[in-house]
Amino acid sequence: MRTAAVASDRGSREAAVRLVLVSCAGLVLLTTVAMLAFLGHAGLKGIREVGLVPLLSGILWKPEADTYGGLPLIFGTFVSAGGAIVVGAVPAVLAALWTTELAPRSTRSAYRRTMEVAAAVPSVVYGWLALVYLVPQMEKVAHHVRGQGATGGEGLASAAVLLGIMIAPTVLLLSLDSLARVPSALRDASAALGASPWQTATRVILPGGWRGIVVAVFFGFARAAGETMAVQMVIGGARKLPENAFSPTTTISTQIVMDMQNARPGTPGSNVLFAMSLVLLVVSVIVVLGTRWLTRGGKTA
Amino acid sequence: MTGLVDARARRAENGPLEAAASSPRLRRGMRSGRLLEEVLGRLLATIAISVAVLYGGGLSYLVARGGSRLVAFTSFATPLSDVDGEDIMRFVLAAGIFAALAWAAGIVIREVVARVRGGASRKADRIAHGVTGLAALAGALAFRDHLPRFLISLPSETRAGGGIGPEIFNTIYFAFLSTLVTLPVGVGAALYMARFAKQRRFVAALRMALDTLASLPSIVYGLFGFLVFVVEMKLGYSLFAGAIVLAILNLPLMVGITEESLRAVPRELEEASLALGATPVQTALRVTVPYAWPGILSALVLTIGRVFAESAPLIMTAGTTVSRGTAYSLDPFRGGETLAVHLWYVNSAGLAPDRADVSAGTAAALVVLILLTNVLAARLARFGGAAGTRMRRATR
Repeated sequence: MRTAAVASDRGSREAAVRLVLVSCAGLVLLTTVAMLAFLGHAGLKGIREVGLVPLLSGILWKPEADTYGGLPLIFGTFVSAGGAIVVGAVPAVLAALWTTELAPRSTRSAYRRTMEVAAAVPSVVYGWLALVYLVPQMEKVAHHVRGQGATGGEGLASAAVLLGIMIAPTVLLLSLDSLARVPSALRDASAALGASPWQTATRVILPGGWRGIVVAVFFGFARAAGETMAVQMVIGGARKLPENAFSPTTTISTQIVMDMQNARPGTPGSNVLFAMSLVLLVVSVIVVLGTRWLTRGGKTA
Repeated sequence: MTGLVDARARRAENGPLEAAASSPRLRRGMRSGRLLEEVLGRLLATIAISVAVLYGGGLSYLVARGGSRLVAFTSFATPLSDVDGEDIMRFVLAAGIFAALAWAAGIVIREVVARVRGGASRKADRIAHGVTGLAALAGALAFRDHLPRFLISLPSETRAGGGIGPEIFNTIYFAFLSTLVTLPVGVGAALYMARFAKQRRFVAALRMALDTLASLPSIVYGLFGFLVFVVEMKLGYSLFAGAIVLAILNLPLMVGITEESLRAVPRELEEASLALGATPVQTALRVTVPYAWPGILSALVLTIGRVFAESAPLIMTAGTTVSRGTAYSLDPFRGGETLAVHLWYVNSAGLAPDRADVSAGTAAALVVLILLTNVLAARLARFGGAAGTRMRRATR
């Protein structure tokens, strides 16, 4: 009699704990769905109000005149992120290759540690550093390249370099992981066949780890495209297409955070911002799908 | 250059042997493309080392540039202003600073003792913990009124001499508030996924959701929080909204690392527990979770690091202001800015003449906090194993 009571009591507690665990998992799912639903709802309203084609191809963004042409924002986002890949991801991948394969063993963990901290440093800190040290230099470069009268300093080039510096540690660490995951049996086999470390690195390790490296670069791009405050500090905030590589322009996230302060919720001015955020959403969905496609089968990142 | 010389010297040493070899093609130094390899290798090394120097140097510069403001203890006691809770804040801040210092010193001392005597002892650990606690208490009692002014005064928008007291408080408070959500929900979901999941479809959907969450830019979280809490629920800018948004932002990281730690628990331990008659739930709660606890904590510390670093979603949900009356208030429904937000705000809207110095100090404080969380997470992860992959996930 008593044991039965204990057992049923235990059974109900068991069920309760299981219920709690399932609801935690359900909460995660629910939150994600809710987030996508809220953003999609407001964003679609914005698209309906302005029209998809004008929103994506208009070249004038002027909320005070109810003109919402998102092309400068989209252009700024993608070009600055693409520039960041050139400036930041390429050296990062090369450095990762050197660190895993060619560097003296003793330096590896120190290298990792430095980059881990660098990757965790808040992006506003990078933004502030860029504002104080990079922007004046970039102005000099702009004057040098385009003559004294040119606008320079705060602009597309500064943003691209800043984003490159910001994403490099992340890309480097993710590439390091993917290179380190290449089985060391392959390394040994290559060495046994008489290959030099360089040959092993470029012909065995790099082909073995390239998927992970592409994933790392994807993530770098996504992070660069989504970065907000740091870019806002150095890009200049001109709501038009840039005339040249140094001129000020804007990005989606910059414009969202700047205009949200003034836009009344529920008005077109606010809804188009949600619509623009859907572009960022699409970028991250592409990154997720691309990562899944690249890493299907094997376990990566 | 030295590499070339080495190769040549080696060739000289091996000369007779290699000469004896039948084919000259087998000689290592003669292989075609060897010089090119050497040059490219050097190039890679140069790139990699300059990258490391750039970041390492940049971080040290940051700490050095703003660090003086963080350690400028005053010889005279700073009088309390009329802000509520300032005395408690000073005490806690002083305790935190001295505990961190004592902790760092304790690590060094323990390392040294372990090297000298061979093997760490539990007793030494306990003593170190005690000393850390005592140092925190003593430091807080003795120095709470002599803390650097920068750390305890209110920020100023227009005049020089503004501090970051409320920002430090808000930053820590945010970490606490978001942990209240992240920890239970994250561990619960991870435990479900690692041990109790039955429906494959549900788990697949869950993973897809987590992947999507992980790849969303933080500004999107800000928009969501703004829409739901500030607009729909009419809460206005509040710490509550910011903390919830940060908690959601941190869920993928928390669930991912926790699940990894839970899966790393040796199967034998759980089977032993089951064999003794424990139910699966009992096993999970009393064997699996405690065993994986260091790993879970390291995940938590990493999420706290992200709370310290995040700015865009907080600007949209918690605002950029600090009001004098509620600077140190525990009310979660007031607005307030964190250190990272402050650093942005000072540079984009602030008019204070000394904003370069204020920014430097704020940046240094942020970097020190991030360093602390990183070291702590790495130490905790070492107990749980697989430090590498953990740190990696955090940096995405």
